[in-house]
Amino acid sequence: MNLNRKSYFFIMILLLISIFFMGCSSENTASDKEAKEGTDAVKATGGTIKVAYPTQPQTLDPHATTADATRDAAKLIYEALVTLDSNYEVIPQLADSYEVSEDRKTITFKLREGVKFHNGNDMTAEDIVASMEKWGKDSAELGEHQWTVEDERTVTLTLTEPSSLIMYFLADQGKIAAIMPKDIAESAETTGAAEYIGTGPFKFIEWKQDEVIKFEKFDDYVPDTDETDGLGGKKEALVDAIDWQFVPDSSTRVNGLISGQYHFAHMLAYDSIPQVENSPGSVVDIWPYGIEGLVFNKKQGVFSDVKMRQAVNAALDMEVIMSSAFTDKEFYQLENSLFLPSQKAWYSDAGKENYNQKDMEKAKALLKEAGYKGEEVVILTSRDYEHHYNAAVATQQQLEELGITTKLDVYDWPTLLERRDDPEAYDMFFTGFSTTSTPNQYAFLDSQTAWPGWTENSEIDRLLGEIKVEEDLEKALALTAEVQTIMWEDLPIINTGHNSRVSGYSEKLQGYNQMLGPNFWNVGLNE
Amino acid sequence: MKSYILKRMLSMIPVLLIVSVIVFMIIHLIPGDPASVMLGEEATPQEVQELRDELGLNLPIYEQFIQWFSGIFQGDFGNSIYMNMPVLEAFLGHIGPTLSLALLAQSISIAIAIPIGVIAAKRRGTYVDQLFMTIAMLGLSLPSFLMALLLMLLFGVNLNWLPVAGYAPISNGLWNHLQYMILPAISLGAIQAAVISRMSRSSMIDILSMNYIKTAKAKGVKDRVVIYKHALRNAFIPILTILGETFGSLITGAVVTETVFNLPGIGQLVINAIVRRDYAVIQGTILIIALAYLLLNLLIDLLYGLVDPRVRFNRK
Repeated sequence: MNLNRKSYFFIMILLLISIFFMGCSSENTASDKEAKEGTDAVKATGGTIKVAYPTQPQTLDPHATTADATRDAAKLIYEALVTLDSNYEVIPQLADSYEVSEDRKTITFKLREGVKFHNGNDMTAEDIVASMEKWGKDSAELGEHQWTVEDERTVTLTLTEPSSLIMYFLADQGKIAAIMPKDIAESAETTGAAEYIGTGPFKFIEWKQDEVIKFEKFDDYVPDTDETDGLGGKKEALVDAIDWQFVPDSSTRVNGLISGQYHFAHMLAYDSIPQVENSPGSVVDIWPYGIEGLVFNKKQGVFSDVKMRQAVNAALDMEVIMSSAFTDKEFYQLENSLFLPSQKAWYSDAGKENYNQKDMEKAKALLKEAGYKGEEVVILTSRDYEHHYNAAVATQQQLEELGITTKLDVYDWPTLLERRDDPEAYDMFFTGFSTTSTPNQYAFLDSQTAWPGWTENSEIDRLLGEIKVEEDLEKALALTAEVQTIMWEDLPIINTGHNSRVSGYSEKLQGYNQMLGPNFWNVGLNE
Repeated sequence: MKSYILKRMLSMIPVLLIVSVIVFMIIHLIPGDPASVMLGEEATPQEVQELRDELGLNLPIYEQFIQWFSGIFQGDFGNSIYMNMPVLEAFLGHIGPTLSLALLAQSISIAIAIPIGVIAAKRRGTYVDQLFMTIAMLGLSLPSFLMALLLMLLFGVNLNWLPVAGYAPISNGLWNHLQYMILPAISLGAIQAAVISRMSRSSMIDILSMNYIKTAKAKGVKDRVVIYKHALRNAFIPILTILGETFGSLITGAVVTETVFNLPGIGQLVINAIVRRDYAVIQGTILIIALAYLLLNLLIDLLYGLVDPRVRFNRK
């Protein structure tokens, strides 16, 4: 009995001491038994890539949602007629080639030969038409349109109004125009297809709710013969399988990555990055996301007056806001453009002079001009996304300095999504905008979308209309620059800067690449 | 006995009715709806409205309640709109990890707590007692996520003995299953142990000061027999109550542990359903949990009879 009691003591005390010691010194004691592999290791490897992803999608059918969680996983199984290269330009994918008619109302797609679906059937023109009809059912971008089977390997898209952006819409990654078998496309409900069958390098195997989606290499995959570029070109499954696990807790994703349980951890908290960087065998991947936007309620309240919006914009110190939200310069850029510098067709710095002014005097003068009488400004925010919350807090402090009375309304994210639809409920909120393929896809620019904040600018609408039909890309870029200039004067939103998201991966992953989310084709596993 | 059980079962009906009305009201009154969560952030208000119509979310709230409530009597708890499956199926799909976690954590906590409680009571006032109770106090005040993270860092990341997170069902092999369950069970069990050991100690102290114990000791009955046969059995009723309560909270309250260790259990199911505003899942799961709680309480009450003959329900 005595001996037992003593050993009890001993074990308890030992456990407590060791737990606290280890907890305090996790960074430098991490096991380094995973020796660094050479970067020139062989590619085709087999094995199972274990991915830790923060959220479970509602469906894998990319037609049904714009959610990133669907897009990132669906890219493994589905392909579209066209996709984007590394400069965000359109290139063929399931189409062998495409031809736009002179009046830009008819696009003819020649399909690649020998492409098979995961159910073993050949992909035909009928599958394309059925899929595209399901995808474009209510698309405002397409307008009145018609898909037609010309022959087994040819389909045409006929538009009633010409559009120069149509190819970008078809290649867009917000709602991928995935091709699926005709019967599945036709029987699908709005909430998504019942079966996930595509033509991609991996096939869907199993979905354990809130746990894992399993993908396996599709042996009959016929890769494109063009060189790999961005999301297109030659794609190959170099591993046997991918386990797409759902790990909502950020620290669990980090710990799982460091311990070697996961090969890839998506979306790491900014403050956990030094921990990953200091762990041998783990690599941090910073990828450009888009813009952090401060959205004004322009329908009612003080910010329906453009002078008030200009006053706020004149006052804001973007460096402070962006560093509060994204912690380090590595993760944000003070950029006023709607597009990433790598998006060569659309990038422009027009309107730069109105960005990051930090001019309190000017702001106060504008405030006076607007006749501001101390009305309370409600900033809608959520702690579910810590960076939006931190940006809101930093902005609140600067507005208070300017003399604007503010109130922070903090909700969970689904509540915020509903409240931002109610013009009575708020004056401003922060949200992120993932970069798009064309200016017309930013919902906050177009008055027709009635997107929260309710932009009503006939000039912007007119320019978007012109961009849509402009044949010459150079001219389209000039028009985009004009939109951007107006945006920085009328301020439907304030783009506080560009930001990046961070993932981490194991050095065992060979050839890992990302563009608009992680991509696991052409990626090997060196266990 | 039978009529007692029947009476208790009948008294559950109004409780469940009240629970279902309250849960339904609360979840439908808070803002946010599944349509916008499902369609993604860049969806237009028009698309959201259309999906709301299709999902029946635009019906008057009383109609939605009647629809849901009448379904329950036919064993239909509704369908998860996010996961696209019946709620009961979703519940049963998530109960495995939770039950396993609760049973393991409870076993660990009993194994630690009752000996500690008994020893501390026996050595009341000595340094042994003080040390045990200090540790118990520490356990009580340590947030469960901290305990979970420290264990994860030590055994998962630094020593690499056990997987950091995840789950494997027993069908994949017992050891495989246990590998994933050990750390969550310890982190949860250790905290429960703190509660149970304090309760065991005070209950044992009460009993040990009673006359029949003194008599037994005076008669020269062995120490061990006095403690484990005469005292512990009588001290067990309050301990049993606490065990019932902690087991109930293990099944329903392991949300944090399940999240940190990424166990796809009931806690995660409810949390995810709240984030997704998956109404039917929240309503159904909470109703099932309430039922389980009521049944567990009934079971504990019946167990009293086994431990203490004075509270047996004798036929008259």
